[in-house]
Amino acid sequence: MRTLVGVFEREEDILQATDAARRSGLTILDVYTPYAVHGLDRAMALQPSRLPWVCFLLGLFGATAKVWFEYWTTASSWAIDVGGKPWNSLPAFVPVTFEVMVLFAGVSTVIAFFLVAGLRPWRKAVLVHPRVTDDRFVLLLEQTDAAFDVTQVSRLLERHHVVHIEEREMQEVP
Amino acid sequence: MSAPGSDADVPATPRLWTVAAIGGGMTLVAGLVAGSDRAWAAWLVAGEFVLGLGLGGLFFVSLLYVTGSSWAVAFRRVPEAMAATLPASAIAILALLLFRPSGYPWFHGLAAHEGPLAAFKVAWLSYPFFVARAVAYFVVWIVLASALVRQSRHQDLDGDERHSSRNVALSAGGLVLFAITVSLASFDWIMSLEPNWYSTIFAVYQFAGLFQSALAAMIIAVVWLHRRGPLRDILGEHHLHDLGKLLFAFSSFWMYIWFSQYMLIWYANIPEETTYYVERTQGAWGVLFLLDMLLNWAVPFLVLLRRPPKQRPEILVKVAAVVLIGRWLDLYLMITPVKTGPVPPFGLWEVASIVLVAGASIVLVLRALRRAPIVPLNDPLLAHSLHYHS
Repeated sequence: MRTLVGVFEREEDILQATDAARRSGLTILDVYTPYAVHGLDRAMALQPSRLPWVCFLLGLFGATAKVWFEYWTTASSWAIDVGGKPWNSLPAFVPVTFEVMVLFAGVSTVIAFFLVAGLRPWRKAVLVHPRVTDDRFVLLLEQTDAAFDVTQVSRLLERHHVVHIEEREMQEVP
Repeated sequence: MSAPGSDADVPATPRLWTVAAIGGGMTLVAGLVAGSDRAWAAWLVAGEFVLGLGLGGLFFVSLLYVTGSSWAVAFRRVPEAMAATLPASAIAILALLLFRPSGYPWFHGLAAHEGPLAAFKVAWLSYPFFVARAVAYFVVWIVLASALVRQSRHQDLDGDERHSSRNVALSAGGLVLFAITVSLASFDWIMSLEPNWYSTIFAVYQFAGLFQSALAAMIIAVVWLHRRGPLRDILGEHHLHDLGKLLFAFSSFWMYIWFSQYMLIWYANIPEETTYYVERTQGAWGVLFLLDMLLNWAVPFLVLLRRPPKQRPEILVKVAAVVLIGRWLDLYLMITPVKTGPVPPFGLWEVASIVLVAGASIVLVLRALRRAPIVPLNDPLLAHSLHYHS
């Protein structure tokens, strides 16, 4: 895939350049920043993350499973009388249920993020620009077809103080 | 952006609310003079409700200074105005303690009391000491609130950044005093209604409720000021989103603390502790007991769980209104059962209490808002707050 790499020095520039690129109908493959830039998701027109759903559903699953398990252990499988309380003592289950819910929701969200992001220890890091983890911001555009005019797009990026532009052939988005 | 903050910006208080405050107040005063126990309870509920808004405002402003937060500076005048209502709450509560102290069951002696803390309780709940403490709490709160607000308004005039650093120091010390005084006040004015019962988490529970309701009131105030003009170009969706997050978080905090108190008492199952919940779960009280959790936690939790509702003012305002009703009910459940029998009373006195709370809160907060520009004009963090991104 043929791409155009634009390197920027300032947060405001990458925000405005991304916004301008989206408005002119260019295909934004990704934007790389050394830290989370507020408002970038909107400039890229990213869909809201689906991770909250993983978090919610797994949290719900954890809580439900734990209530069932506590009920099963204390009231059904081996009923134990604790201080004359009813076997099925819901208030006593709440603290552990809460903790298990948090554990399931938290751990599963992190695992889901690792899976979706492809983040694993043996993965070779391919940086789109050596300084992107330090102090440079990179906008990666796809040259979708013959209509992609490099000169025109370069001019658009220059309006937002791009410091380096480069055409690059890539197998996959890093 | 239009020039922010001239005194005429905050619309005049609709006459209706002034009438409500006076009508509700006069009704309850008549009830107190006539010696009605229910009017006594309704007055205390109303006083604690308005006091909670004032203390919540004071806490919020202090927290902003101590943490160096810029995001809420643009609408800090709203919590400042809430803190400025503290003298009115002082009059309401001190009037009750001075003129009708017999509403507290220990006033005529703690005869039935025994146990290791008996001697301490008798000393602690001696009437002169009780009143002296109440005066001391209010002096601390009012001095803190007026000092913070005064520095902030001086900064409007001279733009001196030293006002901000003075307020940071004042807030840091103030928060320590706040924690101590709010805890003791909750023991004195609410927990001592049942002098043989105690819960060590009661003060935290009170704090959770008061700050949650103060956040709800703040949301309603800023959305109203946004719609009516004064905050139109100032308040953005990011400010609202963060207020929504705080309301969500503190609703959950309230539930967490509520349950901590309930579960420990339920689990230990000691008679002198369980009486509190026995009274409040029998018969129709049990319905209100569940409704309390629904209004203060289930509704805000479920509605505000996703992001979009936290950014939509019309939804936030409705949830905030539910939380404020929940706060009144929460206080009602703490105070009223002591004064009445197995049937939860709802009639003239309780309606008067609600009307008084609504009227007094609105009249007092708007009056305080009109006294200063709607934004802290020369606060060094204002520019950052106006362009705030969450």
